[in-house]
Amino acid sequence: MKIGWRLWLLGTVLLILVAFMFNLESSTSFLILGIGIGIIFALNSIKSKIGKSLIILLLLASMIFLIYTQVEVGVKIKSVDYNSTAYDAGLRAGQIIISLNGNSISSISDYSSAISQEFPSGENKQLTIQTKDNEFLLYTSQAPEITLEEISITRLKFGLDLQGGSRALIKAENKSLTYEEVEDLIAITENRFNVYGLSDMKIRNVRDLSNQNYMLIEIAGATPAELEELISKQGKFEAKIGNETVFVGGRDITHVERSGQYAGIEGCYASQEGEVCKFRFTISLNEEAAERHADITSKLEISQENPEYLSEKLDLYVDDSLMDSLFISKDLRGRPTTQILISGSGSGSNRREALEDADQSMKRLQTILITGSLPYKLEIVKLDTISPLLGKKFIRTILIAGLASLLAVAFIVLLRYRKIKLPLALLFTSFSEIFIIIGIAAVFNKIWTLDLPAIAGIIAVIGTGVDQQIVVLDESKSGISLSLKERLKRALFIILGSYATTMFAMFPLLAAGAGLLRGFAISTMIGITVGVLITRPAFAEIVKKIVD
Amino acid sequence: MSLKEAYNKNYKLLLIIPLVLLIFSFIYLFQFYQQNDDFIKKDVSLTGGTTITIYLDSYVDLGDLKSFLGDKGIEYSVREITSITTGKQEAIIVESPSSSDELKTILEEYFDFELTPENSSTEFTGASLSNSFYKQLLRAILFAFLLMALIVFIIFRTAVPSLAVILAAFADIVMTLAIIDILGLKISSAGIVAFLMLIGYSVDTDIMLTSKLLRHREGDLSSRMLSSFKTGLTMTLTSLAAVIVALLLTASFSETLRQIFLILTIGLSFDLINTWCSNASILKWYIDKKNKRREE
Repeated sequence: MKIGWRLWLLGTVLLILVAFMFNLESSTSFLILGIGIGIIFALNSIKSKIGKSLIILLLLASMIFLIYTQVEVGVKIKSVDYNSTAYDAGLRAGQIIISLNGNSISSISDYSSAISQEFPSGENKQLTIQTKDNEFLLYTSQAPEITLEEISITRLKFGLDLQGGSRALIKAENKSLTYEEVEDLIAITENRFNVYGLSDMKIRNVRDLSNQNYMLIEIAGATPAELEELISKQGKFEAKIGNETVFVGGRDITHVERSGQYAGIEGCYASQEGEVCKFRFTISLNEEAAERHADITSKLEISQENPEYLSEKLDLYVDDSLMDSLFISKDLRGRPTTQILISGSGSGSNRREALEDADQSMKRLQTILITGSLPYKLEIVKLDTISPLLGKKFIRTILIAGLASLLAVAFIVLLRYRKIKLPLALLFTSFSEIFIIIGIAAVFNKIWTLDLPAIAGIIAVIGTGVDQQIVVLDESKSGISLSLKERLKRALFIILGSYATTMFAMFPLLAAGAGLLRGFAISTMIGITVGVLITRPAFAEIVKKIVD
Repeated sequence: MSLKEAYNKNYKLLLIIPLVLLIFSFIYLFQFYQQNDDFIKKDVSLTGGTTITIYLDSYVDLGDLKSFLGDKGIEYSVREITSITTGKQEAIIVESPSSSDELKTILEEYFDFELTPENSSTEFTGASLSNSFYKQLLRAILFAFLLMALIVFIIFRTAVPSLAVILAAFADIVMTLAIIDILGLKISSAGIVAFLMLIGYSVDTDIMLTSKLLRHREGDLSSRMLSSFKTGLTMTLTSLAAVIVALLLTASFSETLRQIFLILTIGLSFDLINTWCSNASILKWYIDKKNKRREE
C-alpha cells in the first residue's frame, strides 16, 4: 500500500498535534512523533517482510512506551497572595505541589483534606510542602494563602463559559473611550488587581463594530462581588501624615508628571546588597490640599535621626492599605505647596535590576495617583459569572453529542453507499479534522480558548466537512468517462466555492458584539481551512484507494 | 408516464410550494413586526437583563416558583435543565429584565440559601450593550449574506443561477424566522449565530447543484439533475441527522446549543424545499430556455 503525500500530510499534522496537545515532556512528545512517523513508513512497505516486522516492532515499542509514560501528578499553584506566609516561604504560581507533610497530593480534594487534617485548631504548625523541584517550609496557623488548579492531561484551555469564572465588560459612563484611554485603564486596572493578589486574569481591549472600545476582564477564580467591588472602588488613594489626611487621589491631585525633566530616575549608588536607584516625579495639588499640607506639617518636628526630613512620613494608602511611605523634606514644613516632589527608590543585585525596579516602582506609584483621578466613572455593561460545577459534565455531554452525531452521519452514509469502508473513512476523516482543530487550539492556548461559541463553530465545520466529503465520494463514484483525477478536481471546485463563501461570511463576526462571539468565527475559519488544505485531499486519496 | 417525464413536464409547478411558503412567511413576519416592532422575540442577552442558573440538589416545582415570582411582580421566564442519562432535574434557569442583584435577592428568598458562584451562574447584560450587540449581530449577518452573494456571483458569473442560489439562502432564513416566531422562541445571540451557520449549510448544496448542472457537460440534464439530487439529499440528510441527534442530546443541558441546533433543524428542513423545489426548478428552467434559444 503506497501512501500518497496527502495522507502523509494528514498523518504528520495529526501526530505533531497529538504530541503537542497533551501535557507531556518534550522528549515524550518527540518519541510519539518518531514512533508515529515510523508506523506510516512501515505501512508504506507493508507488503514486504521488513515492513511487516517493522510494524510489529513499532507497535510493541509504542505499547511499552504507553505503559511507562508518566503523566504528571500533583496540583498546580494558580495564585499566591502577595505578602503572605506562603509567598514569603517562596511559593509561587506555576509550581506543582506533589506532597504536603508527607501526604502525596494528586488532586485538589487530596490537598484540602490534607490541609484540614493539619489545622483542626488554630495553633501554629510546620508545613512541609514538596513541589516538583523543591521543598518549602511554612510555619503558620492557617492554610497557605494559595489557590490551586488540577493539572490537566491536555494543554487545552477552555473558556469561562465551560470552566467557570467571571467576566466583565466595562466602559465609561456617558462617554466613549478611545483606544489609548482603554489601554491606560487596563494598565491601571492590572496594577490594582496585582495589589489585590489576583493574578489569573486576562484584561483585553475590545472594539466592536460601532467603534466602541471596551475593557474586557476575565478572571477564572474571582467572584463577581470582588470584581464589582474592584471596579466600583476605582482605587481610593489617600496620602496621610499620622492619622490626618493630606490629600486624596483624583479630587486633590490636579496633575501627575509622567515624563520629561520632572519625572525619572535621579541616580544610582552601590549599597550593601547591590545597587539602589532613586526616582522622583512631581505632582500638583489643588490649593485646598496645599493649605492642608501646610497646616499639618507645621505641627511636625525635624527628625532626630534624619535631620534633612521631618519626624513623620507621608504615608500613601490605596484602598486603605499602605503602599509607600515618603520622607518629607524639612523645607516644606508649614508651607502651602501645590507642587510636591515624590521620590522613592528601587534596589537590585546589580545596576540593571535596580534601574528596572525603580522604574517599576515609579510607574506603579504614578498609576496609583492617577487611578484616583480617572476622569470618568466606570460602568459594567456585562457581568457573567459561570459556576465551575457543570463545566466537566458539560464538556462530557458535548463529546457524547458529537460522537452520536457523527455515528448518525455514518449510518446515513452506510445506508446510501452500502459499503462499510466508506463511512469508516468518513468517520476517520471527520475525527482527524476535530482533532486537528482542537490541537491548533492547544497550540494557541494563550490567545484562543475553547468556549461555547468555538464549540458551535467546530460543530458547523464538521457538518460542512461531511457535506464536502459526500461531494468527493459522489464525484469519484460517478460513472462518467472522465479520469478519477479529473472527477476529484471537480469536487474540489465545489468545495472551494463553499469554502470561499463560508470564509467571507465569518469576517464580520470577528468584530461584532465586542468580540464575544469571535470564538465561533475563528474556529470556523481555522476548521474549514484545515479541511481544504489537509483533510479533504486526504479523504479524496482514501476514497481513490477504496474505489480503485 | 414515468416519474422522470412527469418531473420534466411539471417541474415548474414545484415552484409553487416554496413560493406559497415564502409568501406566507412574509405575511406572518410582517404582522409579527407590526405587533412586536421587530422580526424576532429577543431574550435577555439581546434586550438586557439577568439570567441566573441555579444548580440544585433537590427537586423544585416550577409552577410553585413561577407563582412566587409572579407575586413579586417582576417579568420572568423559568426553565429547567434535566440530565440526559437520568432525566433528573439538575438546574433551573430564571431570566428577567431586572438587575442581577434584584433577581438574586428574590431567588435567595425563595430558595432560602445564598446563591454563590459555586451553586449558580449569573449572566447580566446591560440594556445599552445588548442593544448595540443586537444591531451589530444583525449587521454581521447582513454583511455575511452580502459577501456570500458576491462570492456566488464571482463563482458562477451568470445572473440567474447566482440569484437562484441567493434566493434559496434568503428563503431558508425567512421561513425559519417565521417558524421560530410561530413557536414563540426567544432568540439569543447564539441563535443569531445559528442563522450564520444556516447560510453556510444552505449555500453548500446550492453550489454543488449549480456546478453540476451548469459547468459539467456529460450526460443529459436529467441525469445530472438526478445525480446532484442524490448527492445533495445525502448532504442535507446527514447534516439533519447530525443536528437532530445533537439537539436531542444537548437540549436539556444548554440553552445556547439547544437554540443553535433547533434553528439548524428547522432551517435545513426548509433547505430541502428551497434547494430542490425552487433552486433546481429555476436552474432547469434557465438551462432549458438557453438550450432552446441555441437550437433556434
